[in-house]
Amino acid sequence: MNLNRWTAVILHELLCTVRERLPQLLLAVFVGMIAASAFIGSSARTSVTGVYREVLSQGLTTAPNPFDAFSPLYYARNTVIYIVLIGALLAIVIGVHSTLRDRLAKTTDLILSREVRPASYLGAKLTGLAVFVLLLLAASAVINIGCVSVVVGHVLSFGDGARIAGFYELAWLFMLPFVALGMLAGLYASSATSALLIPIVVWSVMIFILPLLGTAAHPVSLLNPVASPPAAEAGFFSFTSGLVAPFSVGEQFKHVSALILSDPQAAGTMTGGLLTIAAFAVAGCLAVTMTRRERMRCEFHD
Amino acid sequence: MSDYAISTTALTKRYGAKQALNELTLSVPVGEIFGLLGHNGAGKTTIVNILTTLLEPSSGTAVVGGHDIGTAANQVRRTIGYLPENVQFYDNLTLGENLMFFARLSGVHQPGRRIGEVLGFLDFTGHESQRMGTFSKGMRQRAGIAQAILHEPSVLFLDEPTSGLDPQGVAKLREIIIDLNTELGMTIFMNTHLLAEVTKTCTSIGILSSGTLIYQDSVAATLASFPDQDSLEDIYLHIEAGQRP
Repeated sequence: MNLNRWTAVILHELLCTVRERLPQLLLAVFVGMIAASAFIGSSARTSVTGVYREVLSQGLTTAPNPFDAFSPLYYARNTVIYIVLIGALLAIVIGVHSTLRDRLAKTTDLILSREVRPASYLGAKLTGLAVFVLLLLAASAVINIGCVSVVVGHVLSFGDGARIAGFYELAWLFMLPFVALGMLAGLYASSATSALLIPIVVWSVMIFILPLLGTAAHPVSLLNPVASPPAAEAGFFSFTSGLVAPFSVGEQFKHVSALILSDPQAAGTMTGGLLTIAAFAVAGCLAVTMTRRERMRCEFHD
Repeated sequence: MSDYAISTTALTKRYGAKQALNELTLSVPVGEIFGLLGHNGAGKTTIVNILTTLLEPSSGTAVVGGHDIGTAANQVRRTIGYLPENVQFYDNLTLGENLMFFARLSGVHQPGRRIGEVLGFLDFTGHESQRMGTFSKGMRQRAGIAQAILHEPSVLFLDEPTSGLDPQGVAKLREIIIDLNTELGMTIFMNTHLLAEVTKTCTSIGILSSGTLIYQDSVAATLASFPDQDSLEDIYLHIEAGQRP
């Protein structure tokens, strides 16, 4: 497929996604998440500072306000869990919509009866969605930097701004395999309902079940933006941790995000987590582009 | 260039134990409007899928527009236009946006100009900005024809093109098909159930029964060969029942 056709598919993908009003919905969700994250941080700061001033005025402490030591990046930290929970699900929905669209519109035969290889066509669709998610996250990053600047009362330094931008780049890489997962479900599922249900089950396994097997973590602790540490002393969990940790892509994302956002609780290096997330993204993209012509032409059973 | 737009030799397709096509040998001369008739499940759509390179045959060969479907599939794709049965298009996009996508996908130069020409030819201008979701079945079929001829194919495949259309829609589509053949010189291969339409539209017919081609001739010769039958429908039922002339 030549460059013009590749561009045509990318533009078509973007246009269809915009017409389905997904960008508006997604941007609203992201802005809501970011605003909620900043508001929670701001409320915590106001409450703690209020208590601190009262205690200070009563002469009960001479210690500095604990919030004075906090990095502005603290206010972006909750966004990590929103990406894992809501961002990944939205990525799945975008992916499912993309491939279901052709099957529901019955346009697959029109496309494949032209000089278009399935791998090129699906690759171009995936590129279109990757561009879409990137634009969405870029807008979210700008809004996030703005929100944090408002909360801390000054414009963020270049370094802090770059870290938030870096976090959103990581979020893009993290969301990409979920877009691919959604596309695969749209291609392989025998009904539109199962196309949406199957990737959500896979997502819940990757985000909740695997970390539980590997860390013996309390389920609620998985909602913490910082990755749960492995249960080193337990024989079974130390064994399973080695097996499932690479597949706990949500925990890997939380770990790398915590390092990028300078979370004081975060320790270690980014390399392993980054490689895991990148490997998932590459595997997802390859799986989509390896879909066969016959598979693309399959009709629904319902 | 061969005198035949389409020719197949012992074309066979099996789905597991089921034989969908049985050593089909068929030739459609350039410039014909060929109607393929047959009962449901006879294998009509399977032939079209193979000739449009969407499906690989189990054995046998086929040449479309002078190109072998097995060894020169991309050249075949450049040569053909295709309108499947019940195509829906992208309802959230306008007619113009749908056609622009297919024009670019077909590698059409100056797609905007070409879309204007095609819509003008089909007497379908003025709907470019209308969303496809608001189109009637007849309008969708015209849009389907438009996307199929954007890249100026020499062979056009239509799968049940008049299915579900009202009488006015059928008449309009018939007019378009004849114009495509006479004015643009396209060879047209269509599957259909509407035998009355075949008499009015097609120049030659083939009858397929359980994957086997049991009859092929021109419409005029067919009508002349069965003087005791009142219509093509009667002739079709006669031949299907195994009573050849």
